[in-house]
Amino acid sequence: MARKIVTSLGVLSLILVIAALYMVFEYVPTEADEGIVQRIFYFHVPCAWIAFMAFGLVAVAGIFYLWLGGQIWDDLGHGAAETGMLFCTLMLISGSLWARPMWGTWWTWDSRLTSTFILWLLYGGYLMLRVMIDDSRQVARFAAVIGIVAALDVPVIILSVRLWRTIHPAVLVTRQGGHGLEDPRMVATLLVSLAAITVTFAWLFLVRFAELRMGTRLEALARGIALAEVRTGDI
Amino acid sequence: MEHFGYLFATYSIIFVAIFLYVVFIWQRQSRLESEVRALEAKLKALAEPKHESAAAEPGAKPSP
Amino acid sequence: MAAFTAILRKDLRLELRSGQSTIALVALALLVLVVLVFALDPAVARGPETAAGALWVALVFSGMLGATRVLTAESENGCIRGLLLSPADRAGLYAAKLAAAFIFMMVAEAAGVVMMVLFFNLEFDAAMMRVAPVLALGALGFASLATLLAAITSRARASDLMLPLLAVPMYVPALIAGVRASAAALSGAPFSAARDWIGILIAFDVLFVTAGYLLFEHVIAEE
Repeated sequence: MARKIVTSLGVLSLILVIAALYMVFEYVPTEADEGIVQRIFYFHVPCAWIAFMAFGLVAVAGIFYLWLGGQIWDDLGHGAAETGMLFCTLMLISGSLWARPMWGTWWTWDSRLTSTFILWLLYGGYLMLRVMIDDSRQVARFAAVIGIVAALDVPVIILSVRLWRTIHPAVLVTRQGGHGLEDPRMVATLLVSLAAITVTFAWLFLVRFAELRMGTRLEALARGIALAEVRTGDI
Repeated sequence: MEHFGYLFATYSIIFVAIFLYVVFIWQRQSRLESEVRALEAKLKALAEPKHESAAAEPGAKPSP
Repeated sequence: MAAFTAILRKDLRLELRSGQSTIALVALALLVLVVLVFALDPAVARGPETAAGALWVALVFSGMLGATRVLTAESENGCIRGLLLSPADRAGLYAAKLAAAFIFMMVAEAAGVVMMVLFFNLEFDAAMMRVAPVLALGALGFASLATLLAAITSRARASDLMLPLLAVPMYVPALIAGVRASAAALSGAPFSAARDWIGILIAFDVLFVTAGYLLFEHVIAEE
């Protein structure tokens, strides 16, 4: 049953991605000022939204873990963090590849890119911490705390970075204000791309989550068998 | 079609990255499956000798 | 309350006796400032903005060192288990650790300000009064962040890497706000220029002191 859901999500993801690609490359008109490179925007922006949303998932999973216990919450947070990290990285890479032809520089400290970069560092810290702690129950607890605290910090980060950027408009390069999309075809393309990225995220997350669950159950099973071996005197 | 290279690179990277992530999960999945098989074998091994030794020496097992 | 004062007095007394941590903090702040002085282009005039930036860089790094020392002193000899078994409440323990870290940060900041004035051609004037509360807010934020994080990272491998790795991105808002507010204070700008930044510092402090207090118990329990 679960496997069917995951598989159909995968199929849906593929369909939506193909649809989105068609819209990005064929359907949507070229933006007047920026040229064809602007089409990067249609995947770049959804990746950012997903990256931030996934981090929220990590925090919520952390809250439930600390509140209710149960390794399933930790597996949820872990899966969300890995998949979210993937999309965060893609947002940054696509941002760089957009900045280069647009403004001639490989990176700009635009407030959105900067905030996402800090988010990327937070993801990285979370995932590294998981690797660096050996006791598996401590890992879950500490990861939950870090996830919660970091997620609470994110709004403050966004606010401070935005304020920081508005006092340096001359020195650093800014992107055109909001993503004002005049043509309704652009809006449609963005929405379809958002759906495609979201479903792809959901599919990847569930695949990884299922695998983590299997790992957890295996660990419990291995422990049970080791105990049984000790009891029967085989060891 | 200026800057087409950047556009192409971006979308390729996105899909290569997703593909690689799927491969990464797939590999871990097969490693987990071999662990499952190993544990199943151990379980079977535990199940059989237990019946034999229980029949042969009923009082020899240490109390848990 | 009793636990708070007892633990805090213990930490402070230990420090007064050996003075190790304080010397290390001040020394590291000095060294970072020296590196910055030589790294920055001498031809460019160094105003209060540069001075404020240099000061905060020095404080972040020495703060990281100080936090590790102050907050992990107990875990080394298993003393933490004794603390947990005692009837002392977790809130008191957290408050004591936070206060100790804050005091050490303030000492490092005081020394840092003196060095900053000397190295960056500033004056010991009224600006010092304006900068002090900004630095205090920054120290409080850093202390609460580090108290929570150090308890976690001290249990991790490569703990001296993990603390900065986690603390630096989380501290960014306070860093941005703190440097801007300090620069405004040092350059004699009116309070309205620094008002938003101080607001961010206050919000940051409230967030991390509260979150630290609520989450601390999850972080010190031993399994």
